[in-house]
Amino acid sequence: MGVVWETMHEMGIAASILDAVEKELGRYPGYRAAKIGVRIGEYAGVDMNSLQFCFEALVKDSPLAPLELGIEWRNGDELDLGSLELEEIAA
Amino acid sequence: MIEVPIEKKVLSENQRVAEGLRTSLAESGTLSLNFIGSPGAGKTAFLERTLASLPAGTKAAVLTGDLQTENDAQRLARYGYPVRQITTVGACHLDARMVEKHLEGWDAAALELLFIENVGNLVCPTSYDLGEDAKVVVLSVCEGEDKPLKYPGIFRKAELMILNKIDLLPHVPFKPDLAREYARRIHPEIDIIETSPVTGAGFDRWLAWLHARAARKSRTTVCAQEASNAFAGTGSR
Repeated sequence: MGVVWETMHEMGIAASILDAVEKELGRYPGYRAAKIGVRIGEYAGVDMNSLQFCFEALVKDSPLAPLELGIEWRNGDELDLGSLELEEIAA
Repeated sequence: MIEVPIEKKVLSENQRVAEGLRTSLAESGTLSLNFIGSPGAGKTAFLERTLASLPAGTKAAVLTGDLQTENDAQRLARYGYPVRQITTVGACHLDARMVEKHLEGWDAAALELLFIENVGNLVCPTSYDLGEDAKVVVLSVCEGEDKPLKYPGIFRKAELMILNKIDLLPHVPFKPDLAREYARRIHPEIDIIETSPVTGAGFDRWLAWLHARAARKSRTTVCAQEASNAFAGTGSR
């Protein structure tokens, strides 16, 4: 991960989410990632709009496009990955 | 369509490095504190006064983070303790890997105290575990009393709030009681100490807190080692 990703901390978080998706996707040949869920607490220090913006910016020109980000807002300080939705690639 | 649960922390790689740091600092009994506050809250001045006030022979060291310059490291190095600057080149927070890298070459096992001054920012550093024992939030009386309400994340996670620059209270409209009330509304158990790095006010209380916190860590480390030895003894029988 380079300096650009880490400059804005939501960018670093978005990049970490994509890293996790890529790793998980490697275990499911023949599928593409459709949506990744994250749980974010109000005390996690993460701005939801900034994260969405950074995520879309990173995904747009990547092989993972058009991966969607599903944010579930919580009351605590969670910053956790939830479920990854995978779609079978048509033969 | 299939759904695969991943169920791990988004920053799991940072968490892995932080846990490694925490384990090694626990083994050496080093108390590590992560100081977080706005730019200008007086974190560096607070640490300068702290270093100047530590009992002779204390084995302390400081890592100080900034986007640019080595100015803070130069200020802090005047007190005779090992100091390293972490220049983040634009990043708004320190992460565990930066701390790990900048501890290289130091005999961390010989340290009693490790102070980590984070980049001036009340938001981003909150998300990153640096393997510390406690976060300390620094709020100055030149800011708004409602910072705890505006930035609840760090006030919720911090074990101690330093209310800094109290020598300026006669000159600013800041209401300390209100700041304390707001901080405790977010985190009822937070410790609060009022300090002035200029006059030294409150530093006796801060040093007592530091001493007690280090002693608590030391007891925990001894207990953990005794438990570990006991298990090792049981296994060898």
